[in-house]
Amino acid sequence: MDANEKALYDAMVACKVPGIIDAVNAADAAGMAPTAIIDTMAGAMSEVGVLFERGRIFLPHVLSAAAGMNKAMEILGPKLSKDGSVAARGLVVMGTVEGDVHDIGKSICSTMLQCAGFEIHDLGRDVPLGKFIEEVKGGCNFCGMSALMTTTMTGMKTVIEMMKTEGIRDKAKVMIGGAPVTQAYCDKIGADIYGESASETTEKAKAVTE
Amino acid sequence: MAVAHGLCSGMGGMRTTGDLVCRMQFAKSMKIADAKKYVADKLEIDPFQLTEENYVRDIREQLGMGVVTGQPNTPKGMPAKMNIEKVLGIEISSCEHFRQQVLRN
Amino acid sequence: MVVDYVTRMGDGRRVRLTKEQIMSDIVAGMSDGVDAACVPELSQDELDHICEVVCDQSKITSIEAGKEVVLSKDAGAIKFNQDNGGSGNAMPCMGRLEGILVYERAFGFDSMELAWMDYSVKPVKSIINCETANYEQMALMTTIPLIMGAMPNLGLYYAPDGPHPNPTDLMREFKIEESMASSEAAAEQLIKDIHYTCQEIEKVGCEGYNFDTVASAGDAEFYATLKGIEDYRKMNPNAYIECGMSAENVLGIHGQMEYDGKILGGMYPHEQVKVVEKAGANIFGAVVNTNTSKSFAWNVARSAVITKECVKTAKIPVHANMGMGVGGIPMCELPPVDITGRAAKILIDIANIDGI
Repeated sequence: MDANEKALYDAMVACKVPGIIDAVNAADAAGMAPTAIIDTMAGAMSEVGVLFERGRIFLPHVLSAAAGMNKAMEILGPKLSKDGSVAARGLVVMGTVEGDVHDIGKSICSTMLQCAGFEIHDLGRDVPLGKFIEEVKGGCNFCGMSALMTTTMTGMKTVIEMMKTEGIRDKAKVMIGGAPVTQAYCDKIGADIYGESASETTEKAKAVTE
Repeated sequence: MAVAHGLCSGMGGMRTTGDLVCRMQFAKSMKIADAKKYVADKLEIDPFQLTEENYVRDIREQLGMGVVTGQPNTPKGMPAKMNIEKVLGIEISSCEHFRQQVLRN
Repeated sequence: MVVDYVTRMGDGRRVRLTKEQIMSDIVAGMSDGVDAACVPELSQDELDHICEVVCDQSKITSIEAGKEVVLSKDAGAIKFNQDNGGSGNAMPCMGRLEGILVYERAFGFDSMELAWMDYSVKPVKSIINCETANYEQMALMTTIPLIMGAMPNLGLYYAPDGPHPNPTDLMREFKIEESMASSEAAAEQLIKDIHYTCQEIEKVGCEGYNFDTVASAGDAEFYATLKGIEDYRKMNPNAYIECGMSAENVLGIHGQMEYDGKILGGMYPHEQVKVVEKAGANIFGAVVNTNTSKSFAWNVARSAVITKECVKTAKIPVHANMGMGVGGIPMCELPPVDITGRAAKILIDIANIDGI
């Protein structure tokens, strides 16, 4: 990691917007490629997620880092594309499945994914299973489902079956998580990504897009 | 799950003296060793005997502190708790409430 | 010849590992716990003892006679009635009094709580007069310590269940100050509800209260619970108060909530117990989460190193949460009996817990 990369990384992990903007401007002025700046910041954002889960920093810090990253995108956007816009990594529908009202973990996962550059359609909790299908048909290429109960996690399997019936299984990567959900369950129902934590889910989703 | 913990690690509640030790944790925030010693001293037994079912069963019966099996004329519930208060030297809120109700007229 | 041992993964699956693999997982799990909670490492003797217990191939492994601990219970007897989502047995015929007496006289439990099916402070508040009348009757028949219990569950005070906007949703919209204000307002409401509930149970001589699954909605919930405990302690200096956590660290959803001058977000069990003590609780319920992708050896060593520091720091007794997915127990609907005893033995021998 060179000096510019380190300054960017440290500014992101410090979670202060002015410091992040200063580091981006300095890296840009020093001739660092915009894509390299964004890659460095994205790497630091992963570290921010882990620090949050370990209790070293708190949600407002995560959002400050994300806000800093958004500002960086505004600065670097014109250099990245002709129209100045920056494409999202992916379009994600997120929700706690029908019958289940536990949404704190899911909401944190949505936040982490948003911070990593995904566009999020968070449908909240107790989401009718058909809504996930509608969102995938509407263009979401990631379908994230959460459940906290063994009685409701079966809804995830139903959604996958519905996707197959509708002929749209290959349109979206299915991500599942929540306390009773495991890698073995993910394999059993044919989901694509199991996330033990919000940061692990985000890392696995990012890996799919890279 | 609860039964497994009871079998593998639990003191045994009313089968032995687990409820008394637990009551001292709740009443005086005593750590397990202190709570065991306190109860053993009050019962005038060795702490190791606190989980010796048949030995402490007779002590419980004698002191009217409630035994786990059904036995007529042996206190359970409120009268047993009032005897526990005396033996352990503590006041139990539910017993105090009962006394207030009985004595209010 | 390489000998392997049957053990479990964190999701409950059976797996065969060599002693070397088990010891390697124990060291890795302990190191992860040390790193996460910033606590001292276990000694080589302690690591060897964990390995010995994990490698013991008996179906049931139990604690040495004389080292037994006491048991306290969350959710009272409602597990008998609930469905599998709450690890319940769906026995609609089992009343709560019968359930409590089964725990007292058949299971040999050391204490018990009266819990309402909708196990949160907010719904219990609405039916508290029913609960107090029931408690008064049940207290006549039971001998073991009988307290009330519910989860503070601050989530119920946020939209769509409550009047306050969801702080996490506000955060995603970068409305950080509004999010923090919403958490603070909801916490104040929870404090009032805890006060009202405790005030009512006091009227019937209730022996105490178990605040269960605390901080599930983060630091604001922990703050409200601590203030609620403090208030209840002032109401009744003799009340039996237990405070059991929901996870190993307090999520900093707000980030600046403080109690006794300490930031609550990010606290691990050895730090949590100090503020719980200060608030006036008698028993602390420590939690260490299970990682389903790691082995039992990894999880239980991690649990032991974090819990040990908590017990060492605590002046009050510590009961380790050892149910589905916590305290080294696998995260599965039917936690294996062979693991339950091993996990408890390790936490009693190594972490010196006062109860489960």
